Amino acid sequence: MARKVAVVAAGHSKFGKRYDATMRELCAEAYKPIYDAGVTQDKIDATVLSYAASQFTGQGAGSALMADYLGLQNIPHLRVESACTTGTASLRAAWGMVAAGLYDVMLVLGVEQMNRVSSAVATEYMSQAGDMRWEYPYGISFPAFYALMASRYMYEYDMPHEVLSRISVKSHHYGAQNPKAHLPREVTLEEANNAVPICRPLNLYDCSLITDGAAGVVIAAEDRVKEFTDQPMWITGIGAGASAMMIQDRESLTSIPGAKRAAKAAYDMAGVGPKDLDMVQVHDCFSIAELIAYEDLGLAEPGKGRELIENKEVYHDSRIPVNCDGGLKSKGHPLGATGLSMTYEILKQMRGEAENQSRQIDDVKIGLAHNVGQSGQFVNVFIFERGW
Amino acid sequence: MMSEKKELYLGYSSDKAVTPFFQEFLEALDQEKLMKSVCTECGTEFLPPRQHCQKCISLCELKEFTETEAKLRSYVVVDFAPESLTSKAPYVVAIGEFPSGLRLTAHITNLMSVPEVGMALKLAFEHIDDKKLTYKFLV
Ligand SMILES: [Zn+2]
Repeated sequence: MARKVAVVAAGHSKFGKRYDATMRELCAEAYKPIYDAGVTQDKIDATVLSYAASQFTGQGAGSALMADYLGLQNIPHLRVESACTTGTASLRAAWGMVAAGLYDVMLVLGVEQMNRVSSAVATEYMSQAGDMRWEYPYGISFPAFYALMASRYMYEYDMPHEVLSRISVKSHHYGAQNPKAHLPREVTLEEANNAVPICRPLNLYDCSLITDGAAGVVIAAEDRVKEFTDQPMWITGIGAGASAMMIQDRESLTSIPGAKRAAKAAYDMAGVGPKDLDMVQVHDCFSIAELIAYEDLGLAEPGKGRELIENKEVYHDSRIPVNCDGGLKSKGHPLGATGLSMTYEILKQMRGEAENQSRQIDDVKIGLAHNVGQSGQFVNVFIFERGW
Repeated sequence: MMSEKKELYLGYSSDKAVTPFFQEFLEALDQEKLMKSVCTECGTEFLPPRQHCQKCISLCELKEFTETEAKLRSYVVVDFAPESLTSKAPYVVAIGEFPSGLRLTAHITNLMSVPEVGMALKLAFEHIDDKKLTYKFLV
């Protein structure tokens, strides 16, 4: 029987264009609040230290560098990679090791340093996560994959682009209230809907940011939790899913098939459903991705996700708050850190410690994180429950 | 004596890893023939072709793909391109679906306006330069 595992501490760097730091300093920024909360190096049995893409930094064996910089050089570490799900994949791997009894206390930390290259080069690197033989030669960038979903979605459900812009407006509304956010400013619907095209039908405000940043959490086995906190967040559901490598081979373009499978597995494991959730963090790498996530997670019926944003049901003081930290769009998307940033946000909200109380969600008992890699090839869904 | 292998690559910003199987595909494409692959054990067809069957991992053989009319399943107009295709932007990437259900991802090269999902596409070929060639769609 697996042991129960809880998140007992979390840390988060400032997200942004961090020309003042490289991956090692970003890691230290994310670990420092964890250290200050009492999880010093000697309390940690093992680590998972990850980033998605080594092309951005040129650094090989990066987990060794990260461990060394944090004073964890003599503690076992490994790196997990699965594109933008690298953060939650690291958490999933660590959870398995703690649940199985191999270790009691683990630090899981994700980082990405993306701004030492130009946007065009960063776009090039990310396009290499498409099929190198059949997709890459046609210049299908990361936003292009999601634009292929958006075109089909807008066609099948006869939806205007403006609906997507409403999601960007919400993201920026909350990013503006998050001191950790990369682009903390409000945008108007008009501004968002008429922005410069990137991959039509998606424009600049439909796309998440190219961000530097790090986030980390500490997990502990049930009998060790009390040593660290009286406010643990239990990991009660983990679902993982996958989808076809080439986007042309997906059975649907209006849903991410692997995300539906991951959500079902996570709900089943936790014994809860979409109606039980008090807050949700979704992988809004693009506005269309958030809309599709509403439906894949069962928050809305297929084709009806737009009602959630149009009726403002996904704001912090309404029925089902989604990404009230600014999301990947405004808070930023340092690939390897993103899934752990979602986890950090859910812990802070549960503890009533949202950075800037204007966006504090009332009485969070159950939260869900939905983390998608590349264009859906990887998906992790986590369900967390308040332990006090 | 073996004839000299012609140096060929697919598409606009090519993966340079060419295997004998892929070379055979490229040489057929050079003759304006698009090849699918068919599993020698279970008969499953793949487009684009695979050397190994996705179902039973047996070897596949290349066979000419003869459908030419497709429907636009989805599209993107790439305005901001990856670095290697910056000079080509904006360009249109399409997923075309043929009557058999097989699909192909390629550029549409003769559009004067934004495409419409469901529109008719015609398979065509292009020699991009001396070494690069491709299949593409026309409207
Ligand atoms: Zn077969």
